[in-house]
Amino acid sequence: MAEVIRVDSIGVEFSINQHYFHAVDDVSFHIHEGETLGLVGESGSGKSVTSLAIVRLLAKSARVTGTVMYKGRNLLDMTVQEMRQIRGGEISMIFQEPMTSLNPVYKIGAQISETLHLHQRLSKREAHDQVLGMLKKVGIARPEEIMNGYPYQLSGGMRQRVMIAIAMICNPSLLIADEPTTALDVTIQAQILRLMKELSRDYGTSVLLITHDLGVVAEMCDRVAVMYAGQIVEQGTVDDIFFATHHPYTQGLLKAIPKIDVKIKERLQPIDGNVPAITRMPKGCRFSSRCPYVMERCRSEAPAFVDIGERHYSRCWLSAAEGLEK
Amino acid sequence: MIKYIIRRILQSIPTVFGVTLLSFLLIHMVPGSPVRILLGNHYTPLRAAELSKTLGLNKPLWEQYLIWLGNIVRGNFGFSYTYDKSVVSLMFQALPHTIVIVVVAVMLAHVFAVFLGSVQAYFENTKFDQIATVINYFFYSMPTFWLAVLLVIFFSIDLPWLPSGGIVNTQLSNPGFGDWISHLILPVGALFLVSVAGWARYMRSSMREALLQDYVRTARMKGAHEFRVIFVHALRNSILPLITLFGLSLPSLLSGALFVEEVFNYPGMGLLYWDAVNSRDYPIIMGITVFIGLVTVLGNLIADILYSLVDPRIQY
Repeated sequence: MAEVIRVDSIGVEFSINQHYFHAVDDVSFHIHEGETLGLVGESGSGKSVTSLAIVRLLAKSARVTGTVMYKGRNLLDMTVQEMRQIRGGEISMIFQEPMTSLNPVYKIGAQISETLHLHQRLSKREAHDQVLGMLKKVGIARPEEIMNGYPYQLSGGMRQRVMIAIAMICNPSLLIADEPTTALDVTIQAQILRLMKELSRDYGTSVLLITHDLGVVAEMCDRVAVMYAGQIVEQGTVDDIFFATHHPYTQGLLKAIPKIDVKIKERLQPIDGNVPAITRMPKGCRFSSRCPYVMERCRSEAPAFVDIGERHYSRCWLSAAEGLEK
Repeated sequence: MIKYIIRRILQSIPTVFGVTLLSFLLIHMVPGSPVRILLGNHYTPLRAAELSKTLGLNKPLWEQYLIWLGNIVRGNFGFSYTYDKSVVSLMFQALPHTIVIVVVAVMLAHVFAVFLGSVQAYFENTKFDQIATVINYFFYSMPTFWLAVLLVIFFSIDLPWLPSGGIVNTQLSNPGFGDWISHLILPVGALFLVSVAGWARYMRSSMREALLQDYVRTARMKGAHEFRVIFVHALRNSILPLITLFGLSLPSLLSGALFVEEVFNYPGMGLLYWDAVNSRDYPIIMGITVFIGLVTVLGNLIADILYSLVDPRIQY
């Protein structure tokens, strides 16, 4: 299958008191047509910054390096005009906060058709019909009425459906979903995830799903990239990540999930410590300050991102040693 | 909506009543009697007593107030002491002149302040923003009358481009439209400059906040042009504070044109008020004060109605 997007070694730097610090460092991944890639990590691991760097919506003060190849063209080299054509038309995005992501003073119908009008020449009638059809597809009852309503009249789940309608109406090749269900309650979460899955399948849309919820990953994704402190530390298929876990950080994440079949006396095992601030990154491996298997080498030298077989990658000295043995 | 407007008008009756009481009491507390000023050099105690009786000033204060209030309710604001005309006819003569400069200045100032504030917010902390801020504070902190005098010095005296006052050039046999416009430029300019300065500051902070909202990011992600992001998506959300200011500024501009009208000798409400105060012409002073009270109530009502037009979440 063809690649829709290939992110190659992108880095994002922010300036803090005139010094530049890497919020995202050497992040690479690609997504095939119709594939869903999960980008997993704690808060502050650089997931959202990575996604905003791809669509170039970071603040002007951010420095972005590397390449983002979309259908053979580097998004980071495009002019502002070309980039506007991409946004909403070819790559679209839904956000974490459905309550605030819609403009409170415009009608729902107008907000959805805006994307259409920005990318296609359509009559009002045609646009209206398309919006109506899209609202039906995202499972909104009484779509005619909702089109003439305002965001404040809708619940969070309904608003996220509207956001999905806005994102999908131009039939984009790639949908970036930044924690799309985090702000919703659990039953609504399941509905929204199912809706996204159906739509991406029907439209053949590739999805970059950003989440901190490994349950969501298991449900939705084909492949997973685990991020820690601005780097991808492990990448592979969902099976690789869940059943052939390699990186100590991923192992830690999996151990920290509550399971229903475990005895009450067994306690959850959190990963000790916090994600280091970008102003004080450890010199060697970024996880070395919290890793249970930390070695002398980890503190001084940063490990490379190595293939440990069948496109399963890990950024760890333990994996590197194993890779050499093979 | 109609119900709401009627309710608001009924609610404002006590306010207007309070305004009448206050303006009556305050003007009678001010030292100096109209009788003394009217008689001037012809003052004798006998004549003064006579005139007091004719004007009804010899009655007890509460009785004077009740008579005056009774007349107002019937739409009779009394008769001017100095002009020999009814207060209503004097106000009707002056009001159109004031409305012309105030409406033009307010419209221009609003449009320009919204634009300037928005652009400043977008280019926050750039050289452009900093320079605009300094200029804003310069005009904001400048007393209106002084600015008016400076304008006269620059544009009527040093550069003899524009007339320094009045509304027509009395030397022309047939003053036309252009002549009238040229008399409006300086008074409108003075009002415009002081209004823009404050409003642009409000607009800047309100727009700054709006540009950080999630829906702005959504608009960008749809592929909207930055111009559209600012002036379609963020603007309508950030303009509410300016509508409040509009409502509040209406009365102060109708009367606050006072200094501008005085400097430019412009025959509007402000000048009428000013002259009335100097000659202790009670009926005019109280009439205009009550009128300003009514405009205040009206301005707030207009602002509230505009709110509901701009923001669908506000319904009455």
